[in-house]
Amino acid sequence: MKNPFRILTLFLSIIYAQNGLEIATMVDERDVPKDIISKTTMLLTNRKGKTRTSTILSKSSNNGSKQILWFLAPLDDKGVAFLKIEHDNKADEMRMWLPAFKKVRRISSSKKGDSFMGSDLSYEDMTSRSLEENRYKRLEDETLDGKDCFVLEVLPNEDIKSTYSKHITWIVKESLIAVKEESYDLGGGLRKKKKFFIDSISDYHVINKIFVEDVQKNHTTTLTMEDIKVDSGLDHSLFQEKNLKRLPRN
Amino acid sequence: MISRFKNFAVQQSINHPKRTLIISLVTTFIMATGLKHFVIEDDMMKMIPKTVKTRIVWEEVKDEFGNTELVFVAFGNDSIDLFNSKSLADLWDFTTQLELLPEVEDVRSLTNLNKMENDNGFLLIDDLVASRDLSQQQIQEIKDYLNRNDDQRKRVISSKDNYFNIVVIPDKNIADRDAVAKIVETADNLLNNYSVHFGGPSYLIGVVGDLVRGDALFLIRIGLLFMVIILLASLRTFAGVMMVLMVIIFSLVGMMGSMGWIRVLTGSDRFVFSIMNTSMPIILMTIANSDSVHFLTKFFKKLRLTGDKKIAIEQSIDSLMLPIFLTSLTTAVAFLSLVFAPLEYMTGYGVSIAIGICWAWILSVTLLPSLIMLKKWPLNSMAVIKPSFLEKLVKKIGFKIVKIPRTILISSLLIVSIGVYGIKLITTEVNLVTFFSKGNKIRNSLEFLDDNMLGSMDLEFLINGDLKDPVLLEQISQLQDYIEQNNPYVSTSFSIADVIKQMHRTVMDDNPDFEVIPKDQQKVNNLYTMYSMSGDPEDLSSLVDYEYSKALITAILKNHSTNESVEFVNEIDDYVEQNFTKYNNITPTGQYVVLRDMVDLVIKSSIISIGVSIVLISFIAALFFRHYGWGLLGIIPLSAAVIMNFGFMGILGVHLNHVTALLSSVIIGVGVDFAIHYISQYRRLANQGLSISKRTSGTIDEVGYPIVLDALSNMAFGALLFSEFIPLIHMGGLMVFAMVSTSFGTLTILACLLELIGRKETWISSLIGDY
Repeated sequence: MKNPFRILTLFLSIIYAQNGLEIATMVDERDVPKDIISKTTMLLTNRKGKTRTSTILSKSSNNGSKQILWFLAPLDDKGVAFLKIEHDNKADEMRMWLPAFKKVRRISSSKKGDSFMGSDLSYEDMTSRSLEENRYKRLEDETLDGKDCFVLEVLPNEDIKSTYSKHITWIVKESLIAVKEESYDLGGGLRKKKKFFIDSISDYHVINKIFVEDVQKNHTTTLTMEDIKVDSGLDHSLFQEKNLKRLPRN
Repeated sequence: MISRFKNFAVQQSINHPKRTLIISLVTTFIMATGLKHFVIEDDMMKMIPKTVKTRIVWEEVKDEFGNTELVFVAFGNDSIDLFNSKSLADLWDFTTQLELLPEVEDVRSLTNLNKMENDNGFLLIDDLVASRDLSQQQIQEIKDYLNRNDDQRKRVISSKDNYFNIVVIPDKNIADRDAVAKIVETADNLLNNYSVHFGGPSYLIGVVGDLVRGDALFLIRIGLLFMVIILLASLRTFAGVMMVLMVIIFSLVGMMGSMGWIRVLTGSDRFVFSIMNTSMPIILMTIANSDSVHFLTKFFKKLRLTGDKKIAIEQSIDSLMLPIFLTSLTTAVAFLSLVFAPLEYMTGYGVSIAIGICWAWILSVTLLPSLIMLKKWPLNSMAVIKPSFLEKLVKKIGFKIVKIPRTILISSLLIVSIGVYGIKLITTEVNLVTFFSKGNKIRNSLEFLDDNMLGSMDLEFLINGDLKDPVLLEQISQLQDYIEQNNPYVSTSFSIADVIKQMHRTVMDDNPDFEVIPKDQQKVNNLYTMYSMSGDPEDLSSLVDYEYSKALITAILKNHSTNESVEFVNEIDDYVEQNFTKYNNITPTGQYVVLRDMVDLVIKSSIISIGVSIVLISFIAALFFRHYGWGLLGIIPLSAAVIMNFGFMGILGVHLNHVTALLSSVIIGVGVDFAIHYISQYRRLANQGLSISKRTSGTIDEVGYPIVLDALSNMAFGALLFSEFIPLIHMGGLMVFAMVSTSFGTLTILACLLELIGRKETWISSLIGDY
């Protein structure tokens, strides 16, 4: 059973009008699983309709700030593994296991706008958005697929060197989870449209599918998470370089 | 039908001159309204049929890898080292501004270059230049990195560190001229403290059209002025020359307006005005001039004889209706034959000019006589009472031909045979650099890029195969080495093989021994995956396709000729055949390869047009003059002129390109006119019962003068010789030559042949028949 005080706070804050920051804070503070394990299929489609599919076993904790991935398919990539550990006060740590070379290589994460695994999600998209680094403005509420949503305009602070000028995010009032987002480039043009599909697993609202469209490149990414397990008690020692070399059985 | 139209024309001109004038004005005005739909098209690539293999490959490359046509910009100063914060900040601003332009797809410069490094096992793919404002230490680090990576270095800065090289890729959906205008404007705004040079195929295509057209327009006006002066000197009547000018201008406006109307009504892109169409206005002006000059000289001759304006007009129309109709019909048909040309765009050229020719014919036999009718001609004026110097000179030539026809004929045929020899020497050249003469600002810029940077041209090779297979990657790498080492024009080349080699070295602790393609495919796979995790996969999109089944090698070259390009491509074909064991699907592509094919098509189109025209002209002449012999005689001067034109182009080193190849049309247009006027007058005199001995001199006396005056006045377009653009200089020279060769062909070869045939009673009787 979740903390009844938090639920009451949430309920009260929804009833009374909040400003953008208050809504963002509520979203930031909502209950999330301690860890998630999933088998993710990533389907990339380019402007000509050509596709690339990868299957990845992903294990993450701390709301995705620690993540380890193993490529299961295609055969060309099988065995390649990736470890990411986000840090608040220094550059994120990223390591990659290259089985054909039998080497682990640390890789750069300094280009926030770079694509993550060739997808339409950039490292910036994959990183948790810090409340202090953005300004939030509440726009008029909307109904999306029959669900009442807050609509927030998120403006990155100038000092964080974002690759976006703003985001418009639709957040379901009931679950406080984002279901749709539009991201705009530095010139103010629409760059990406994102859709998040939610499932309820063990009382958590968990994303089980993400669809991203880069409208400028006319490229799409569909991430479908299957066999989702939450709070399985992942040991923090899992997120170490040595574990990249061994493809887990589950 | 001709007879009925003849009567109609006489009636309208003599009895209703004002009405005829108004109708002509209104009709021309209606045609002219089409000018608002008149479109200028500079993208020559659009003109190549979609079925041509090199275009198919080129489209495939553009679709898969984005635009491959590049604009090179170099800026700097001879005396300064650009590794300073101010210059790097200027480069940053220029690059950023270019990237923001909607006309630009991508920019590659030092400030957006990626570095790939291994620092104690830390693989870094990052921006080489982190920000606009750099410290001395950061600048030194950038310099050190470039010194360690010479391939990257030479792409972005000159060897003396005094010029930056920026490669701009225009958006493939934007016309080159618009993209180039924006790039140049951005450079003008930001780089006014530097010396700036531009180059590249896109740049040339973007600037050539407007520059050539602007210069041609100016010189055509000068040519028109010279034409007026020559006509004035010979005709000695200002009003008469203005009448000729009116017919020319009305015809021109009618043609251009019709082109606009047809384009908008049919929706066909074939009716656009490109650099290939530059010769169109000149051709029509010469034809319209020809019709009018023949009419006006005939009128003065008749007025001199009869002293009555009405009778002179009536007799002129009676005498010239058939020949002018026939010359117009044959010329229009000759141009319409361009619908058979493999280059579809030639349809627009042929149809539009055919309309212009028909309009010029109608105006010559309706508007011109009406204008003459409206003017009072003093019978004691010089134009009427005394033949001009030219007229007298031509008369003398006529007498000479009667005396020594064999000698003149043999000498003429010898000159033609020199032309036959010269045809073998003719070469094709599509390199746009050759459009600019030495010392021209654009040529200087291109030479600067060749001498100080990587060059000003690019050539691509499309490779099909498994781009994860180390065998193919190794072959690509070897091919690059081959072209860089064996061709003096290639400065550098790049492909996916370079990226794989650099990543391999980086993964293997930056050991230069590993800057090779790994032997194991799994390693190649890992490197591709690593790039997708650490760099932007978009970086590779210009090198390899989404499915790793197609790749592109881009070679940057210094300026060289089309022939050298063809040899280069052939050498590579041989190399691939001998060395590419597993994969051999490699196709050269790029603007110059496509352009070379386009010029081949223009030449084929011209040859087909010449062939079809000659057959049709011969048929029409035979039909109207009622004997196949006239058909053959009609095309002899024309064929001789075509041979001489192309032959002397070969001897004088004038290259065939998409501008000069079409000039054969001028010869057909004008050459056939002269022959038909000559034959028509000869037959007329024969049927009037003039003795054989007087027919040739009589014919030359009647039509020789207008032919020479026409040719001489058209030579005014020799003003194009003063252009700073070589194709226009060639066009001017060829115009002069075409006029000489066509009038020469008629007044020597045809005249002598007819004189000699005329001496054989049975032959000439068979030819003349009933008139």
